[in-house]
Amino acid sequence: MAALLEVADLRVRFDGDVEALRGVSFSLQRGQTLAIVGESGAGKSTLAHCLAAIAPPQAAGSVRLLGRELLGAGEDELRPLRWEKVAIALQGVPLNPVATVGAQVAEPLRERRRMDRTRSWARAHELAAEVLLDTDLLERYPHELSGGERRRATLAMVLALDPELVVLDEPTAGLDPATRGELTGQIGELAAARGFGLVLVSHDLPAAAQLAAHCIVLYAGAAIEAGATRSILTTPAHPYTAALVGAYPLMSTTKDLHPIRGAPPDPRAIPAGCAFWPRCTQAEAICSEQRPPLAPARERLVACHFGGLKRLLAADGLHKSFRRAGRTVRALDGVSLHVAHGESVGVVGPSGSGKTTLARILAGQLEPDAGELHLDGPPAQARRPARALRARVQLVMQDPWDALSPRMRVAEIVREPLDVAGGWDERRAAAAVAEVLEAVALAPSGPFLDARVHELSGGQLQRVALARALIARPALLVADEPTSMLDASEQARLLVVLRERQIEMGLALVLVSHDLALVRKVTDRIVVLDAGRVVEEGSTPHVSGAPRSDTGRRLARAAPTFDTPAG
Amino acid sequence: MRMRARSGLLASYALVVLVLVTLNFFLPRALPGRPIETLSDPRSQTYVGDATTRTALQRYYGLDRPLLEQYGRYMADLSAGDLGTSIRRHAPVARVLGERIGWTLLLVGTAVALGTALGMIAGVRSGWRRGRRSDRRLLALLLAFDNLPSYFLASAFAYVFAVRLGWFPLYGARTPFSESYAPARAIADVAHHLALPAAVLALQLVTFQYLVMRASMVGELGSDHLLLGRAKGMSEHVLKYRYAARNALLPAVTVATLHIPLALTAAIFVETVFAYPGIGRLLFESVGDRDYPLMQGCFLVLSLLVVSANLLADLLYRRLDPRTAA
Ligand code: SF4
Repeated sequence: MAALLEVADLRVRFDGDVEALRGVSFSLQRGQTLAIVGESGAGKSTLAHCLAAIAPPQAAGSVRLLGRELLGAGEDELRPLRWEKVAIALQGVPLNPVATVGAQVAEPLRERRRMDRTRSWARAHELAAEVLLDTDLLERYPHELSGGERRRATLAMVLALDPELVVLDEPTAGLDPATRGELTGQIGELAAARGFGLVLVSHDLPAAAQLAAHCIVLYAGAAIEAGATRSILTTPAHPYTAALVGAYPLMSTTKDLHPIRGAPPDPRAIPAGCAFWPRCTQAEAICSEQRPPLAPARERLVACHFGGLKRLLAADGLHKSFRRAGRTVRALDGVSLHVAHGESVGVVGPSGSGKTTLARILAGQLEPDAGELHLDGPPAQARRPARALRARVQLVMQDPWDALSPRMRVAEIVREPLDVAGGWDERRAAAAVAEVLEAVALAPSGPFLDARVHELSGGQLQRVALARALIARPALLVADEPTSMLDASEQARLLVVLRERQIEMGLALVLVSHDLALVRKVTDRIVVLDAGRVVEEGSTPHVSGAPRSDTGRRLARAAPTFDTPAG
Repeated sequence: MRMRARSGLLASYALVVLVLVTLNFFLPRALPGRPIETLSDPRSQTYVGDATTRTALQRYYGLDRPLLEQYGRYMADLSAGDLGTSIRRHAPVARVLGERIGWTLLLVGTAVALGTALGMIAGVRSGWRRGRRSDRRLLALLLAFDNLPSYFLASAFAYVFAVRLGWFPLYGARTPFSESYAPARAIADVAHHLALPAAVLALQLVTFQYLVMRASMVGELGSDHLLLGRAKGMSEHVLKYRYAARNALLPAVTVATLHIPLALTAAIFVETVFAYPGIGRLLFESVGDRDYPLMQGCFLVLSLLVVSANLLADLLYRRLDPRTAA
């Protein structure tokens, strides 16, 4: 039996130079559900039209509905398929303004099934009841209905001929959250009860998660990630998907929103190579030269030369022991940690759990007794590989006085990494220092540059340490209690700086802290350490909201709240 | 709701009529050269020689009274249906107008109905097939027609169809001494006389209506509800008429209203060329005769016609568009 829908290399180019779709392929079996997500302008609506047998004449490629080719077919061939086999709710739920809602629900029945007036009206009433639309509204004109009612009326209309495929283009856009949730739930029930195949086109990610088992992420008219909705939305692989998910406010995420840097491309001038490269923080030369194909990676399809977010750091089976007062203390006992490009990982645990040891090993300041440490990415530059590698990982220590020589001046401290890396002339180095100081909210010029370490406050010193860590544009920042010296507002300010750097440079972060309340605002994932072992690991909302380990629960209880004891 | 909207509409139209009537009173008195006063000035060219008429005129205009009293008198006369006396015809203006208005209504009504219907049908077809050959041809043809001045078109039609081909009578509204005709024959006779002037007048209106309907139709082509109709698998016929044309009709109806003054102006020429006994020709004659009371009467009737046509269109629009009906 033919698949419900088979789309192959679908391309739409309007007026010669507007590229709405650039080669989309997928297939859908009967009764399956698929979400097509992406920002506005990604080509979602054009795609929806192509599926609903109302493709613009410019469409090329192939769209097969139940084995029949839709593109290039004549109106006489398409008409019997429309609404009968595939029905669509268009974006903005347009209705004919001069006909009553009921007449429009009954219209397909009368025109297509040749039902008489009485029977078609009776059927329209049944359909309205099925979608929980007040049947009195059938007598009204479209402008007399609310947004939610119009959507229900459209849904009733869509179901009129019992189609095998239902395409919903932004079915919940512009509704208040309560109505949106209600409608989403109901669409799900209808799909389950009637068993139609569903294509949901939306930028509403929660609706996609709720309604569709499969998901395609569209960017600039092309699929950039496709697979199971659950895994795509919880562990996005493509940098764009990750950014999209990071920008979406959810009750289930605790992290602050991260806007996506840059703007979606103009469909008139889509960048060559990977369309996402001007906004991608891990782009390399190849990205602007070759277009990455949609290829299998991480149990899904990803269109990225690197299979999605690069793995930046892989630490496997780390062991470390110290001799202290004649006893051997196991600081790390087989700890593994992977960090992806741009990802934020929290490492939490009580004091003595091995957090700081881990941080120092990750940053290359301490040799592990056993285990492997890999920093992925392009091979480090020639002569001094170790040092160049080191520059890509920076460490900010808990106690800045330890790390910074008290006799050095602020300007020297901050620019030292540049001098170590070499190749910075005086002017560029000074400009970089000013910029990074400004970024951490310190005076970028004047006497402050000449101040010595012992003259600075704890807060200032911690920010100087951060500036020093950021100046060489590292790929990974390992921060061990970086805000321990700051008051709440200074701490908030510093976290904002970190977030900006993450959006702009795709900086990955390993945040070591015992403060779960802080870590959950900043990270995607949390690793709980206790006595040198990983006792729990998971997404930030899960670990911070419902910790499974004893250590996790203890930390959660210890995290600060404004709640006053009950009673 | 609906009742209140309509009575509001009627009230605003009543106000317009009041303003018109008042203007009709003041304008001739404000004209440069004081045309009314010169009527009773023996030295002027427009001196009315006939003593009875002159007295009647002076009484009608009440020139010896203060302005406000004149106005009050005018309004009172008007509400009694007294529009004064024609200078040349020695007959009450109201009666003269009454004899003529029927013909104008017939002519203009026929022409507007014909022109609007043809223009709309052509506009719907043309707009639906925008840019194709049939559309481009129709567009060129109608634009060419539109550029011909009405008196030229009228004369050309009269020459070709009445003089050369002899298909239609050259002038008049009915055959002389045809009062004795049987009803069916009388109607045929009137229609026969009506054909040419009505056709000329309709052609004057067709292009404008066509252009508006076409543009409005083209606007509908890209509308979302039309796309919805297409997705619903509606036939081309249903899409064209029930979706596109039905919605395109709304702006076109508003425009049809603008026709009325256009048609009335054109009617002055057409009635004159075809010696059609309507208000337009009467106005033309009264201007030639400097028959001020008659002129004023003609103006008043013409403007009232325009206002009532507007009112009709407004009411029609409300019926057509459910959004304004609410
Ligand atoms: S790394 Fe390159 S190919 Fe992958 S998403 Fe970024 S720009 Fe595209």
